[in-house]
Amino acid sequence: MADTAHTPAWKTKEEQVFETGAGLDIKELYTPEDIVGLDYDRDLGAPGEYPFTRGPYPGMYRERIWTRRFQVGFGTPQETSERIGYLAETGANGFVITIDLPTSYGFDSDDPIARGEVGVTGVAISTLEDMETLYSNTSPDSVSYALSIRPPVSAVTLAMLSCVAEKRGIPLDRVVGTQQNDPFYQMSGGPLQTHVQFFPLEGILRLCVDNIEHISTKMPRLNWMVTNGYNLRETGVNAVQDGAFSLSHAFDIFRMCVDRGLDVNVFARRASFFLSCSIDFFEEIAKYRAMRRLYAKTMQERFAATNPECWRMRFSVQSAGNTLTTQQPQVNIIRAAMECLAAVFGGAQSVHLSSYDEGLGLPTEESSRINLRTQQVIAYETGVTKTVDPLGGSYYVEDLTNRLESAIADKIAEVEEHGGLANCVRTGWLEREINEARYKNQRDIDSNRRPLIGVNRYRIPPEDEIPIKIHKIKASEWGERRADYLRRYRAERDQTAWADAMARIDRAWKEGANMVPVLMDALKNRVTMGECHEAMRQAQGFSFRKGGR
Amino acid sequence: MGTRKRVLLAKMGLDCHDTGIVTVAQMMRENGYEVIYMGLHNYADAVVNTAIAEDVDLIGVSFLSGQHETQTRELLDAMRQAELNVPVMCGGIIPPDDAQELKRMGVADVIEPGTLTEDLVSRIGSILS
Repeated sequence: MADTAHTPAWKTKEEQVFETGAGLDIKELYTPEDIVGLDYDRDLGAPGEYPFTRGPYPGMYRERIWTRRFQVGFGTPQETSERIGYLAETGANGFVITIDLPTSYGFDSDDPIARGEVGVTGVAISTLEDMETLYSNTSPDSVSYALSIRPPVSAVTLAMLSCVAEKRGIPLDRVVGTQQNDPFYQMSGGPLQTHVQFFPLEGILRLCVDNIEHISTKMPRLNWMVTNGYNLRETGVNAVQDGAFSLSHAFDIFRMCVDRGLDVNVFARRASFFLSCSIDFFEEIAKYRAMRRLYAKTMQERFAATNPECWRMRFSVQSAGNTLTTQQPQVNIIRAAMECLAAVFGGAQSVHLSSYDEGLGLPTEESSRINLRTQQVIAYETGVTKTVDPLGGSYYVEDLTNRLESAIADKIAEVEEHGGLANCVRTGWLEREINEARYKNQRDIDSNRRPLIGVNRYRIPPEDEIPIKIHKIKASEWGERRADYLRRYRAERDQTAWADAMARIDRAWKEGANMVPVLMDALKNRVTMGECHEAMRQAQGFSFRKGGR
Repeated sequence: MGTRKRVLLAKMGLDCHDTGIVTVAQMMRENGYEVIYMGLHNYADAVVNTAIAEDVDLIGVSFLSGQHETQTRELLDAMRQAELNVPVMCGGIIPPDDAQELKRMGVADVIEPGTLTEDLVSRIGSILS
């Protein structure tokens, strides 16, 4: 029976493939010989010091356990705010606020294009009043929100946040949180089409830099997320591509900021990354360590940053949704726990785990709670937090960190050869890289080269599955309630003041002004999210509507 | 012999998660189908018009963000109005109860994540036979 001549090499030992997810070889044993050239001070350094390989801060989790973020956001701002108030009492100390799809493209809840999508994937935000409601149980200077958003919409939500602080008498320099601001990867790293269907690319990039200027000059405690590497990784790219596309994207944005005349020592201070933690345990740990070292070197050498805070790469992590299975979903809890542990060994500042029901629907209260509890077990029971970078000095981890750093650097060079990341998006080069990775993943799963428990091995019949609770969607109910609300909101405004504010958006856009203060002015005059976007689109002579939508 | 079966694939609504559908499109091409992929942000009328113009044998739509019922209902209504009678297949993150509901509405099959290519091809084959 056994035809050894045709047995692939990777099948010869316990059906294992001795390489990382990104295809780096793994030897049987690592010894001092593998780190012969390693210079402790030059290549690792103390935690909190250049090149930050061992961690961005000196005491790491001994001083402060990572932020355990809780994903929240559904239906109306009122419902979401009540839920945040409740969760803040159960131990969540940071929130990822997801928004619905109409909001993430800058459409009001009553736009015809929003039909069936209002409140479904997150909360709907259309007015300044909506943002005030989101903060009705919390204060922008004490509770950290990370709104899952991108430019152009992030310019409007940043203006909303600034207005909420202003109205409450909170100085802007005391506002905390994270402003997501990635122009490309937010929409699941998707194709160029999704970025430019509803807003011109150059306009998106301009608002991205407007936000950075506003934050770095007026809101020094607000983090701004430069790269949503998580959503990029979810498309199926490997750890090397993830590291390279995340960093080169950040460097491209930094270049645009420098071109605007912004000071790298100021704007890069609070820049942060949002990264995925996938299932290949040591590769992910090495990825974070390699990225921190590459970032420090690049910021010092290429951008000539002299402020040490600008050399320090900080990141939040979400465990990889695309490693989870629809089949035997309870097994996903174990996957997320392993990914959480890798993120902690990698030195993450904030963690959010994907829910075990990811492959079946949106997270429920129950599945979200298990995410939080998983993190709490790792943080408070396992003892892994009690010393900094416990894997530092491992022959394998240091060698893998070195090899990932050089593979990521090579890939960054390839992006640079293609004119930088923004240009790689424009030309479709990035999309081709993503698609090749997707096909490879599927082939590796089909051929059993990449084991996936419950999918290509250890399957059970559907009738043996243990049923789980599923999130219920109330799209039409939320849509109607929001449409009523917006009708009233528009009826109750001073129409002349509204029209003047709309005209000021048009003028400011054409003059090339920073749009954030202009949008603040508009929001205070009850211009809605959708109207802000429409005014900016018109100022660019851009229109996408056809056939009644 | 025989001509290759033509399949129209499209993302509908605002959802932009396209890993699944792009992968399915490629796997189907490699298995002898002619695939027309419409990309993102399509609405029922455009899908139906393209299906008619391209004379396809099957329509496949994919959802990851909870709009499967609204969009599929609109698609099936538009197909009835246009008297277009080809099987519709859905894929993506669709809760099991909703998958049953989609089938009651007239969807031929709902492809879940984790479906191996071999299985996908045989399920499509049985829809088309």
